[in-house]
Amino acid sequence: MIKDTFKENDFSIRWVIALKEEAQIIITQFKMSLLSQTSVFPIFKNFDGSHWLILSGIGRHNAAAATLYLYEKSNAPRWTSWINIGIAGCGKGNYGDLCLVDKIINNSNSEKTYPDTMKRSILTRMELLTTDFPITDYNSKELIDMEGSAFYDMASKIASRELIGLFKVISDGPSNDIKKLNKSNISDLIKSNISNINTVISYYELLSLREKKIINKPELFFEISNQWHFTVSQKHQLDSLVRRINTFGINKDIKCLLKDCKNSKSVISVLNKQIESHEVEWGRF
Amino acid sequence: MGKVLIETIYIEKKIKDHPRTKSILSKFKKARYIEIDRYGEVFNKRNQNFRIQKSNPALILAHKNDGFVLPAPEGFGIGASKNYYFSHMYNCIYDCRYCFLQGMYSSANYVVFVNFEDFDNEIQKIIKLNYNTKITFFSGYDCDSLALENVTGFAKHIIPLFKKHSEVDIEFRTKSIQINPFSSITPQENFIIAYSLMPDLISKSLDNKTPSILKRINAMSLLASKGWKIGLRFDPLIHGKNWKCLYEELIDIVFKSIPRESIHSVSFGPLRFPKQMFKDIFKLYPDEPLFSGPLSRNKGIVSYNNEIEEEMTFFCQTLTAKYINESQIFKCLA
Repeated sequence: MIKDTFKENDFSIRWVIALKEEAQIIITQFKMSLLSQTSVFPIFKNFDGSHWLILSGIGRHNAAAATLYLYEKSNAPRWTSWINIGIAGCGKGNYGDLCLVDKIINNSNSEKTYPDTMKRSILTRMELLTTDFPITDYNSKELIDMEGSAFYDMASKIASRELIGLFKVISDGPSNDIKKLNKSNISDLIKSNISNINTVISYYELLSLREKKIINKPELFFEISNQWHFTVSQKHQLDSLVRRINTFGINKDIKCLLKDCKNSKSVISVLNKQIESHEVEWGRF
Repeated sequence: MGKVLIETIYIEKKIKDHPRTKSILSKFKKARYIEIDRYGEVFNKRNQNFRIQKSNPALILAHKNDGFVLPAPEGFGIGASKNYYFSHMYNCIYDCRYCFLQGMYSSANYVVFVNFEDFDNEIQKIIKLNYNTKITFFSGYDCDSLALENVTGFAKHIIPLFKKHSEVDIEFRTKSIQINPFSSITPQENFIIAYSLMPDLISKSLDNKTPSILKRINAMSLLASKGWKIGLRFDPLIHGKNWKCLYEELIDIVFKSIPRESIHSVSFGPLRFPKQMFKDIFKLYPDEPLFSGPLSRNKGIVSYNNEIEEEMTFFCQTLTAKYINESQIFKCLA
């Protein structure tokens, strides 16, 4: 329902994925193309810039650096959803299942973090151990990877925690030897979950859209602030005034009323006068 | 209260075997349980988004270490010389747009402290210390005192303590129609079950996920018929078109539904936010009609201007004074 009121590219998604084989299906689905051959990490983006994807390579340091790099290179807005997806070892679940991560333990310092998770999901939720070395002793462990904790630590510094999601496909375990993993079956493991991944994408796109709708300033704000010079503090005032004008439903003739204003001060004064004569009509909301 | 949907329950290790923890968990068998060391690991962390969390909050079961009972803020009271409050829970299942809790924490998850007995001990200490002083305790300052009663059972737990100490008053402030803890016991003179009220038209817009005003009035009426003392809390007073008619209508309905002798007290509270808290709440809901009202900043507080505040309080107090004694009417300034 919310989607109808937005243009297609109004949401913002950033993907941080370790391996090309894990990312390929996403790159293909969103028709992403490589931005540059020479950047520190390969970055892909779709035609309208709503989806960006970075290949971090393996390991915590790579994951943290790539997340920050993508943030800066893509100029990610505040309403961006951040997704990490990849394969993981697991001592408990079923081979090939896509799981949702709701607890991360960093094996190097035992620090724990608790990512918020996609709501009302049918995906199995699991704990993730991020380690610097491959682990083949799966005993009593849930998911095991080499990037998750670093991705989450960095992403939670640049985005709301609720806009971050970690998803792992079980690729090896007590009955599935890690040595049997190759490019082809890694790619197949992700592909076989595309339907679930699409549900994940829809969820985070919607979340991002909703955030944008609230965070972004109203169109009238930009129309006015482009015409006169406003100080930072006046811009805050203007934002609040425009939102109130929209609430009162009196935005129609505003531009006409402002046409003779000489400066930002007089704009604010005219807007204030307009609002003064209005009272909140509670039945309307 | 409808069924509270909880998908995730975080449980502090320290209380994972506490009987109350087990009892609460038994009510959410389908939820995912995640063990944590301290509730601060998941509650009120940097970069949490209150608004998104509010759409589907998790439950956190924790142990409270200190600050069980605190002096109520100045201006918060109903006539006693000393006022204290306690909160067995942080955050609320309701989503009222004027509520300070929106600006208090960056997290909307519910924290429930299961060590109720520590609250009992602290309350008893304060009663002992204030022997011969008229004191009132308020339950539900950082939460609604009854809204999650089906899950926590806190009111049911604390009632016997205040039955024993009839020399002090206890107010349960709520919007909930969950009256079970009171319907099965004899009414106590020192108990006040206080309901937050505002005109239905305004409540429909601002009191999200709460029982309607009519349902609250019915609950009050039922409690009154059983002999319980009722507190009427017109707090906050909300300005808008036809506010006089709306409040007149509300006060009229309330006093037609509740016998005068059942009313313990009435209080009126203006809409007020500390400046920073207002900023935080405004950021969460910038298009909220409430913030389009005639609010102004004065001495670090965002509120309706003095003239409006005074006019609204005077108008409502005058109407109320037709029904009850003026000594039962209070202005809440906290």
